[in-house]
Amino acid sequence: MSVSPAALVARRVFAAASHSSHEGGARTWKILTFVLALPGVGVCMANAYMKMQAHSHEQPEFVPFPHLRIRTKKFPWGDGNHSLFHNSHTNPLPDGFEGSHH
Amino acid sequence: MAHQAHAYHMVDPSPWPLTGAVAALLMTSGLAIWFHFHSTTLMGLGMALLLLTMYQWWRDIIREGTFQGHHTPPVQKGLRYGMILFITSEVFFFLGFFWAFYHSSLAPTPELGGCWPPTGITPLDPFEVPLLNTAVLLASGVTVTWAHHSIMEGERKQAIQSLALTILLGFYFTFLQALEYYEAPFTIADGVYGSTFFVATGFHGLHVIIGSMFLAICLLRQIQYHFTSEHHFGFEAAAWYWHFVDVVWLFLYISIYWWGS
Repeated sequence: MSVSPAALVARRVFAAASHSSHEGGARTWKILTFVLALPGVGVCMANAYMKMQAHSHEQPEFVPFPHLRIRTKKFPWGDGNHSLFHNSHTNPLPDGFEGSHH
Repeated sequence: MAHQAHAYHMVDPSPWPLTGAVAALLMTSGLAIWFHFHSTTLMGLGMALLLLTMYQWWRDIIREGTFQGHHTPPVQKGLRYGMILFITSEVFFFLGFFWAFYHSSLAPTPELGGCWPPTGITPLDPFEVPLLNTAVLLASGVTVTWAHHSIMEGERKQAIQSLALTILLGFYFTFLQALEYYEAPFTIADGVYGSTFFVATGFHGLHVIIGSMFLAICLLRQIQYHFTSEHHFGFEAAAWYWHFVDVVWLFLYISIYWWGS
């Protein structure tokens, strides 16, 4: 499991936060918001974006495993064969990816 | 004019508990009708009745508390107990789904390939969007605390800003999760992995939406001067609920996203 430097920084930042935050009024929490919380979100946004760019865009090879793509009962919408958040690029149907590759 | 010789709230007769119960009946039976007979009418009727019940019941509570003064300290204490007990019941609700997840993942059956994640499942990278989601919810916990202190110190503008920021972070989380749901290489129909993943994270997402709505109502009320620096229990209840949602996510992240990958 590879962890990018940016994600490591984010984790250290949040580990530190659990020791440094203290009670003390609206001003304290306002400072924590703009110095710790929102930058932490920004770092994680950058990290997630960079990691997504590094992905290969290939469709994985399809293997018709019997323990996956269960269709004991049809979905109550459409043709009953597509899940609610079906994505034809990443979600194969029980007999394979729809249409031609990409 | 009659006066009560006690500090408690004897609530006036109300139709909303009954309409709520009828809505629950129509939604559940409507769900069964949809699954077996492909008609959404009953379920739709139930949902409409539920929305009307929620709007009118909670509107009445705001009238009774904020405008008619019925929420004395002992009454407020009862409301606090009520919210704590409700959140406790929700903890047990999620405990069930965590039980299901650990039951299936600690001893994966031969049908799955004897491993977890099961053969053929590509789990989501916990250090991409799921980590961002964790940061978003933790940040929203900071902003809602800023909001609480602002209300207590009478800082009206800061309270509005921090509460709005909290709600925006909540919406951002929901948006990111919806994107993850669409991009995931596995679906709810992918065996017990798909079931445990989407039911646990799905109910969590529903609670994020509910919590965001609760906070949004608080924002409207704050703008309309309903809260005082001493008395703002509606906001406190929303903040407790929001922290609960955050904690559930942390458990989901550690168990399903991280350990489960």
